[in-house]
Amino acid sequence: MEFLKEKFPEAQFATLVNGDTEILTTGAEYLNVVKACHAAGYTFCSVVSAIDWKERLTLVASLCRINPAEINARTIHVKVDLPRTGAHVQSIVELYPGANFHERETYDMYGIRFDGHPNHRRILLPDNWQGGHPLLKDFIDKRPKRPRLVRYRNAE
Amino acid sequence: MEQTKELLVNMGPQHPSTHGVLRLMVKLDGETVTWCQPDVGYLHRCFEKLCESKTYPQVIPFTDRTDYAGPMLHELCFVEATEKLFGEAITVPDRAQYIRVLTSEFQRICSHLLALGSMAMDIGAVTPFLYCWRDREKMYSILERITGTRMLYNYFRVGGLRNDLPVGIIGSPNDGEDKADKTFWGFINYFDSYVVPQWEALVTGNRIFQWRTMGVGCLKSEDAIAYSASGAVLRGSGVKWDLRKNLPNSFYDRFEFDIPVGKENGDCFDRWLVRQEEMKQSSRIVKQCLQWLAENSGEVMGKVPRILKPPKGEIYHRVEAARGEVACYVVSDGSPNPYKVKWRSPCFTHLQLMPHLCPGHKIADVVAILGSIDIVLGEVDR
Repeated sequence: MEFLKEKFPEAQFATLVNGDTEILTTGAEYLNVVKACHAAGYTFCSVVSAIDWKERLTLVASLCRINPAEINARTIHVKVDLPRTGAHVQSIVELYPGANFHERETYDMYGIRFDGHPNHRRILLPDNWQGGHPLLKDFIDKRPKRPRLVRYRNAE
Repeated sequence: MEQTKELLVNMGPQHPSTHGVLRLMVKLDGETVTWCQPDVGYLHRCFEKLCESKTYPQVIPFTDRTDYAGPMLHELCFVEATEKLFGEAITVPDRAQYIRVLTSEFQRICSHLLALGSMAMDIGAVTPFLYCWRDREKMYSILERITGTRMLYNYFRVGGLRNDLPVGIIGSPNDGEDKADKTFWGFINYFDSYVVPQWEALVTGNRIFQWRTMGVGCLKSEDAIAYSASGAVLRGSGVKWDLRKNLPNSFYDRFEFDIPVGKENGDCFDRWLVRQEEMKQSSRIVKQCLQWLAENSGEVMGKVPRILKPPKGEIYHRVEAARGEVACYVVSDGSPNPYKVKWRSPCFTHLQLMPHLCPGHKIADVVAILGSIDIVLGEVDR
């Protein structure tokens, strides 16, 4: 991905096992990197997700190119390191309407806020859910435990 | 002057045409939809969190339960992602790869039959749904002989397969309809000679069905890409993109098949035609697999360590499943449990199209659009 290396020389690049490119950038540069990818033809947002590394969160946006003539087109993963609490980045929904639900899910599961998202609500959990963000590693399920089913012959 | 007031109607979560527990909030002006918003999460069980406390082989049954109408392809995605994490350490035998492709494509036919049948039923034709189950029962019987279960197979393993095909399941190319629920050749011959012509005559050529679907839910190709559509929805809009060809996994690059596409501004009928044509192409792949498997024998399980501990790393693996692009993001920290699993489900992504496609149509067309994007709620909510 030479076009990214030229434009963002200070970002860190890596290659995954299957040949995908990974670019680690800062929260301020995130939208610019995504815009550069979009301009280079990566117009398909496959997924937006996050990884919890216990001391920090990493946001991952996976962008692909849909070109019928191209075989073995690899994905670009744009990564941003974010703090555990109060994390927020720019939303990419304007460029990629398909990232809408994925960003909502990332907020739901990891608590990362997306500035400028048109419908910033929880998606899989209920709107009034107070129990935190389940995919964080320190999440504790505070709901009351359901009674275990006991076989009749063992019951008192 | 008389005025009309917009009416907010909840379709679901207990509505029979929403394929499960999906709530569609629809604002109506008379009978015309002005606004639509899906509300999901009723089946949410956070299987991604569950995966973090399980070992890699223990995750495979969960992947079945995401898309219960086409589980083989989801297993394939996770199993291949784990194999890729190991790099060169695990090699899958050729026979296992061919059986993977065989069962996956067989499953794709099975899943598309359900998609077509349920879409026809949503529109009002109940008979095709019963025909779809008649044929799916036959397929389930064959898959049951291979895997032991009828729906959630847990058949693929990291490094190969759980077991080889049972003796006699391939059959001979002359098998007829009487062997349709016993051998692969029997079913494929029955499918090509009987099922496909029947569907084409009964539903596709039906004028009422065409009136209900043509010009409904038109999706431009650039919108389809922007909304991250994949699978039959993307191809129905005229984009010739199939991960089996463009990013071949398993042995898909060894087979001959075509990619059916719809027209530039694809409607529900285009998506229907693409699915119907894809079943025929899957049948072609199955035949090529059967020919290879009849001539070659061998192991179905490669050499794998007793405890699977992939080296540290990350992988994003994309597979063309029955409903579109399934992908998983797996992060390994070198322990027997995956550090993180993220499941990219096509149905979840496709539901974003509902607010885009529905406004301007009648309320009965919402059901047709929902049927044509073919969702499985187990996969939407994961």
